[in-house]
Amino acid sequence: MKRLLFSRRILWIVVLTIFAFAADLRAQNAEAISNANSEYNAGRYAEAAELYESAVRGGETNAALFYNLGNARFRLGEMGQAILQYERALALEPQHPEAAANLQLARDKARALQLRQMWWERISSRVTTAQSIVAVSIAFWIAAFALSAWLFSRRRSPITVGILVISVAVLWLAAVVLYLREAGKKGRDFAVVTAQKAEARVATADSAGTILILPPGSEIKILSTRGDWIYAALPNDLRGWIPAASAERVRL
Amino acid sequence: MEKLMFPFRIRAFALLFVANLLAAVTTALAQEPNVTAVLTDAETTIGRPVQLQIQVSGASSPKPPAQITVDGLDIRAAGTSRQYQMQNFSVSYSFTFSYTIFPERAGSFKIPSQAVEAGGKTLQTPELTLTVANSPGGQSARPGRGSGGGNTANDNVDPAQIGFVEMLLPKSVAYVGEMIPVQIRLGLNMRAPVDSLGSGVQIAGQGFTTQKIGEPRQTVENINGRSYQVFIFKTAIAAVRSGTLEIGPAEINPSVRVPMGGQRNPSLPRDLFDDPFFNNFFNDPARGRTVTKEVKLKSKPTTLEVKALPPNPPGDFSGAVGTFSLKADANPKTVQVGDPITVKASIFGRGNFDRVNAPALEDESGWHKYPSADKFERDDDVGISGTKAFETVVSPKERKDKLPPLVFSFFDPIKENYVTLRSDAIPLKAEGGAPATPAPTVAAAAATTVPPTTAPSSTPAPAPQTPVQDILAQLDDRPAKPQSFQPPYTQRSFWLAQLLPLLGLLGFVGWKLRRARLDDLQAQRVQRLQHEAAEVERRMRANGVSPQQYVADASRAVQLKTALARNIDPNTVNAEIAAAAFRLDEAEHARLRQLFEQSDELRYSGQKNGNGTISPQRQQEIQDLVESLRA
Repeated sequence: MKRLLFSRRILWIVVLTIFAFAADLRAQNAEAISNANSEYNAGRYAEAAELYESAVRGGETNAALFYNLGNARFRLGEMGQAILQYERALALEPQHPEAAANLQLARDKARALQLRQMWWERISSRVTTAQSIVAVSIAFWIAAFALSAWLFSRRRSPITVGILVISVAVLWLAAVVLYLREAGKKGRDFAVVTAQKAEARVATADSAGTILILPPGSEIKILSTRGDWIYAALPNDLRGWIPAASAERVRL
Repeated sequence: MEKLMFPFRIRAFALLFVANLLAAVTTALAQEPNVTAVLTDAETTIGRPVQLQIQVSGASSPKPPAQITVDGLDIRAAGTSRQYQMQNFSVSYSFTFSYTIFPERAGSFKIPSQAVEAGGKTLQTPELTLTVANSPGGQSARPGRGSGGGNTANDNVDPAQIGFVEMLLPKSVAYVGEMIPVQIRLGLNMRAPVDSLGSGVQIAGQGFTTQKIGEPRQTVENINGRSYQVFIFKTAIAAVRSGTLEIGPAEINPSVRVPMGGQRNPSLPRDLFDDPFFNNFFNDPARGRTVTKEVKLKSKPTTLEVKALPPNPPGDFSGAVGTFSLKADANPKTVQVGDPITVKASIFGRGNFDRVNAPALEDESGWHKYPSADKFERDDDVGISGTKAFETVVSPKERKDKLPPLVFSFFDPIKENYVTLRSDAIPLKAEGGAPATPAPTVAAAAATTVPPTTAPSSTPAPAPQTPVQDILAQLDDRPAKPQSFQPPYTQRSFWLAQLLPLLGLLGFVGWKLRRARLDDLQAQRVQRLQHEAAEVERRMRANGVSPQQYVADASRAVQLKTALARNIDPNTVNAEIAAAAFRLDEAEHARLRQLFEQSDELRYSGQKNGNGTISPQRQQEIQDLVESLRA
């Protein structure tokens, strides 16, 4: 009995410590963001960017933070980094109008190249991964309940059949959207060129032939990595190798 | 007599043998061994082999030189042919030793006298001279023995005899970014069937980009009297920097089938064009044994002069070089302020479409613009020519009566000017909201072309300026719940949440199973009662039934009918319950009561009443009573 009480106390202490740590971290991040906003408004963009980055390193992840960081990078003239941060904001909130507007400006300014997306990829990029997973989950359980009702009923009601058909259709659609979100051009392997000038080459050597010169902010999809090089799908529907340090993944 | 014959036969054979032996010896002694050496051609070119033939006569088993080594020539034994001739009991022998000579470089080469052992003597061949000139077309010489592994593919195979590669560029001067179509022609000798084209064409060189090279078009052409299977590859290149660039060579390593051994039958006539495939007629790839060999073929490199683009491009210039046209339209034409309008713009022509961005509105004030979507349709093999369609959604922030023109700037290498295309303003009506604010003055000229500035002192030509837009301000709000790039299914809380519907589903299935089981039990009970009722009615219709039995069956039938109607236990049914279940009147109730009393009396009295059978009249009365019971 004593042992049980003792272990319960230890468990509570651990849980409370974790919560306290998390709360403290969140408070630290909030302070960093607030200071960063002040620095930005004062025109000290480099300091603001550093403070935003520290909040990101501290585990803070939200669309507004990446949007603000993108603005700071834009003001510093680092278009590649600005586009990367705007893309991160849109990855968290696809319907973020400010990030979308600033992204377009940055792209126009950097003359960045974009990956060509099919219409189904454009549609699927309007929902977040979490939304599609929730839709899959809900549709799955509804379909499971409807199927059970249909199997165990003596008289198969058309309403049950209708619910089953609709839920299976929604499940399939949501699964497709989820797959496109994760495996599509703007999925897990979506990256943005951050170097001032990146040359996509036919091989992993600086002396290899050039396929395409990528302005900063250009979009690529990482296919594989080999040492310090990335093999990527390029905006002109070709593929090539670029130095790993020239690009960063959008999803952290 | 036999004794006399035998000695005669022996003597005859002996005489013949000795005569032949003498003849052979005489013949052999009479023919002195002789050696000579000839070249099939005293002059040749790099890549064109010749034959060296050493002929030995007058010896039965001559020994040729094991190896002939000459610097600059690759000499390999190609075979031996023998000839025997008998005339008047004399036999003459003749041997021809063939060697194939592959010249490795140009020059004059002396093949020294070679020692041949024949007839117990060492004979010397005459010294020969071979003159080798450079071959036209830049084809590489046959690599020598012991060279690197990369050359082993061409062992015994002369690339010049297999095929050629040429790279054709239509121009030698271009601008940075200008797309230049390139045609690469690979020709392979028809007598060397191709197995594969290897990994395709590679164009060496730096400072330019290459479009994807698609599948080649195939034709058959006759070139200099030979038939070639010609593969035509199309692509396009664009220089990324100015200066002098070396384009190529274009390289391809096809795998072809060639005859094995490379032997030539010297007794056959030579091909006039010195075609080794003809020379090895009985080793023709179409007839004899072949082996697949990889051949390295290269074209000559080409020089391209690349000029830099003129300075001071228009503000919206994105690097597009070529010749383009612009079309634009917008729908719907009547909207409310804030409603979306889809603007469709098409840029078509020739050039580097990957640098063609969406045309911008000349004056974006009062408009909110969303990111564009684009689609490119090519109408050639390499993607230089085509149409790029853009779809942009804009929404008016105030009342408008037209959509401003769309502008798109590019560099035209033919006119050698920057060109700015401007579409017509599209009349439309955006109603509601505040009146339009006056548009900012734009320092734009009416001219649509911008001449290049060549000297620092010349003033820059006026170009249309698009209004400068700034980014939107910072956001101070922080979302209530944290967001993450990690999908929910990587988090434990998501899977814990799935337990709830899972438990619900299991409970639902369990409940459904139990209900099905209960329904089965109920159905079985009803079936049992119905079966018993049918059995009772059958007994009631039988003849010769005792009154006791008949009355008991009748009362049981009433009980079963009541139990089925009311879903109760039949053993609990009496006359009152049955009368209530079937809503009987007083007379029928009395008859029913009488039936039950009679049944009880007959069952429990234990006496045999009457004459042991029931009267038909009574039977009918009871039957009518039972049959009248309907729910």
